[in-house]
Amino acid sequence: MPKIEISYKDLCSLVGTQIKKEELADVLLYAKAELDEVEGDKLKLDCKDTNRPDLWCTEGSAREIRARFGKRTISYKINSGKEKIIVDNKSPIQTFAVNMIVRNVKLNENSLSQMIQLQEKLATVLGNNRKDMSIGVYDMSKVKFPVKYTSLPAEKIKFVPLGFAKEMSAEEILSEHPKGKEFGHFLKETDVYPVWVDADNKILSMVPVINSNEAGNVSVTAKDLFIEATGSNIELLKTALNVIAAQVLERGAKVESVVTISGKNKLTTPEIIPKKIKADINYLRGISGMNLSDKEIIKLLENSNYEVKQSKNSLLLTYPGYRNDIMHARDVAEDILITYGYNTIEPVQVKIPAVGRKDELNTFCDKIADIMVGCGLQEILLYSLTNKNNLFGKMNMPEHQVAEIDNPTSENWSVFRTSLLPGLLEFFVSNKHVEYPQNIFEIGKCVFLSGGEFKSIDKKHLAVATSGPTASYDAIAPLLDALMRSLGLKYVLKKSSHASFIEGRCADIICEQTDAKGVVQKSKKLGAIGEIHPLVLNNWNIEKPVAAFELDVTELFYLLD
Amino acid sequence: MSYNLTPEGRKYLEKGMPEQQLMWILSEPAPMEDLKEKIENFSIALQWCMKNKWIEIKNKELFVLQKMPEKYHLKEALKSIEEGKEISKELLSTLVSRRLIVEERETREKKAEQFVGKEIGALTEDLIVTKKWKEVTFKKYNVESAGRPINIGKRQPYALFLKEIRDKLMELGFKELPEKTVVSEFWNFDALYQPQNHPARNWTASYGMKNPQYGDLPDKKIVDKVKQAHENGVSGSTGWRYKWDAKKASRLVPIMHDTAMSPMALSSGIEIPGKYFQIVRCYRPDVIDATHGVEFNQFGGFVADENITFRHLLGLLKEVAKEFANTDKVRFYTDYFPFTEPSVQLSAKHPQLGWVEFGGAGLFREELTAPLGINVPVIAWGLGIDRLAMFKLGINDIREMFSYKLDWLRSAKVI
Repeated sequence: MPKIEISYKDLCSLVGTQIKKEELADVLLYAKAELDEVEGDKLKLDCKDTNRPDLWCTEGSAREIRARFGKRTISYKINSGKEKIIVDNKSPIQTFAVNMIVRNVKLNENSLSQMIQLQEKLATVLGNNRKDMSIGVYDMSKVKFPVKYTSLPAEKIKFVPLGFAKEMSAEEILSEHPKGKEFGHFLKETDVYPVWVDADNKILSMVPVINSNEAGNVSVTAKDLFIEATGSNIELLKTALNVIAAQVLERGAKVESVVTISGKNKLTTPEIIPKKIKADINYLRGISGMNLSDKEIIKLLENSNYEVKQSKNSLLLTYPGYRNDIMHARDVAEDILITYGYNTIEPVQVKIPAVGRKDELNTFCDKIADIMVGCGLQEILLYSLTNKNNLFGKMNMPEHQVAEIDNPTSENWSVFRTSLLPGLLEFFVSNKHVEYPQNIFEIGKCVFLSGGEFKSIDKKHLAVATSGPTASYDAIAPLLDALMRSLGLKYVLKKSSHASFIEGRCADIICEQTDAKGVVQKSKKLGAIGEIHPLVLNNWNIEKPVAAFELDVTELFYLLD
Repeated sequence: MSYNLTPEGRKYLEKGMPEQQLMWILSEPAPMEDLKEKIENFSIALQWCMKNKWIEIKNKELFVLQKMPEKYHLKEALKSIEEGKEISKELLSTLVSRRLIVEERETREKKAEQFVGKEIGALTEDLIVTKKWKEVTFKKYNVESAGRPINIGKRQPYALFLKEIRDKLMELGFKELPEKTVVSEFWNFDALYQPQNHPARNWTASYGMKNPQYGDLPDKKIVDKVKQAHENGVSGSTGWRYKWDAKKASRLVPIMHDTAMSPMALSSGIEIPGKYFQIVRCYRPDVIDATHGVEFNQFGGFVADENITFRHLLGLLKEVAKEFANTDKVRFYTDYFPFTEPSVQLSAKHPQLGWVEFGGAGLFREELTAPLGINVPVIAWGLGIDRLAMFKLGINDIREMFSYKLDWLRSAKVI
């Protein structure tokens, strides 16, 4: 959610009404903004709607609030300009460009800071941190038209970047300029860099990194502005440019369209033509759940900055062209509710006769937890992400393929566990100073590679471990036995070998289901039990013996089913 | 009932039973008269040797019928009594009739006798059974000391907290949906009507899977409708207007939000009207600190009914705030989610924490429900419970929910 700062006085002046400070928070909800903080004149807002960039500035918020007070602004005038711009960018990034000229902008501190802030939020939030879009604003008096969006080999680029006094090469900018360091990675894959150059071949900016210090340094004294947006998605660029145009128009500046020519394609921008949508009045009423009259609904729509034409139940709605978020009558319904006021609507209870039910496997896990607690064990709960060294290396187990994350934030948490036991051992390492014996268990999910829709499957496991001077097979086996007897399950322990356990002190846990005559019908290996091998204890740096078992609770659940 | 050896029994335990002693010295044929002097209790020995069919008597001489077994069951029984082990009733009555053992009650009297007139510590079984407790005084203990703390079996506090949420939602009439760990972007995003160029689907903001990388898409009918919803819109919508990519949708990800479970449930057939919930372990590549863990739990759900409206949604949120934050004071804020419209954010005034941003909710968009075959309104809600859990568990670092501190777990409250 974009966070912005605006001036309280500036907002009131643009709305045309002195908004009472105590009503500010409620009024700002009309602009889908949450008032986070007030510092004197400065208001810190959390803009809730990532799909309404028009609301990410004082001008847009004011326009939205003003409509609620009865003053609608549906259309804006764009003057047809004569400037043409050629796009000839041969680099693979920011391939498209859209442009406009702003005349007689009469900037002041508020309007300049809002313009810079909106531009930055557009590039960050909508433009995916400049990956999909970057925006440039230039003082027209320092730009000689016609300008061109082209590309140059890196070694041919030299200019004074914004905020610096000396001329720098592209290489120097990428390694020394803060913006170069931040956004230079976008240029890694290409030898030619996208640039804006003016008629004198002066570099205006190196896209999407930095503008030149001369043309890009816009101050309140600037009279006319040249604004461009470049990126990979033309619709996104048009939306951004329209939003900026609507912003400056709110301050009384004139916007002049520019024709952008790319090969055979010509595009005139900006273009803020009012849009239309049809909505059924009963549908809107139905969503609200309130008994609103037609008249009330129409009034709410008008106060939400729509122009309304009614024909029986059908409403033809006209709304500002910079809005790109309205896809369905549902979007209109929300506007009505916001104008009515979320906190004015009377909530009504959901009365559906329904019987609640918990997931059966989860309930089964709770039962197992109860049995283990009854055995005097402490439950623990750990992360399901781990790493291969914990899962295999330290456990003395051969590595095999597991569900693995492509872009882990840390190698420590890069794969999904296939066993809970390593976590229990890690737990013991963290508690060497705590009183022994330590008897613990965890019930948690493991992920295994498999077939099916997601090529993986979750399974709940139970792992139980005891650690202390006398921890042994004799200490752990009765715990497994208590669990199995409590569940009424027949099982056998079958001598086996397992690299994490001591040879001769380890067994497979095999469950057997018998029919009425006592003949074994199903037999399934559910896990293993034993004394942890001292080599494994050394790997973990554990100093006391550990005996443990782990079994597949999901299998157990289906066996019992 | 316990038994003790008589002096005679004890003697035989050491030296062997008379019948054994007889067999040890027997060399046949042996005249009876010779043996009489060598063996104490000769007649008993003789009687038992014959009873055991070890020997027979012919013309006053003894002949061996079979070798005596290495372990003689009566001797072994004596040994068992001495060791306090149980033996069969048959053996007991044999040993009692031979006066080798006596019921303990006789000795209990003696054992209890020693305490008479004295101040005792532990009250013994002997004193209770013999009623000699009437003749002793009880030493007074320091009852105001709790003694040494013990470690008992306990549930993990956060696991217990999650269980309580399940219980509460069940009481409110919601049915639990199962959770999944690795899902396709199709369910995590596309089926929720999040466009493929949405910033939330950007590489840095979400995990991807290296293995397995791609999954299968569900039923073609559903996939085609979701594609249509994105590209050109369904049920009167314009759609997001871009070219939808099936390959991207089949990419697998660790589940990022609990709402991903909702379209799966909606498409697989639900009860209408119906109330459902899910608690899901979620994964996002956050920088790990006191408020961001490696993994976190989300819970939420939906209600589907023909007559459900935005007012019902507000009513449900009020109910949820009452149940989970114990408050009637709520405030609703405007909000935005790609999958709900209208959307709302719930803030609740917790009695101790003050105003807490509590969760997001809304009516699922028709672009989401229509492709999944649902043609009634569905209200969806998701709550952030971490702050509540931390408050309840008395911790201020979110990582402590998955605590490695055994001391803390052992001393944690279970209420």
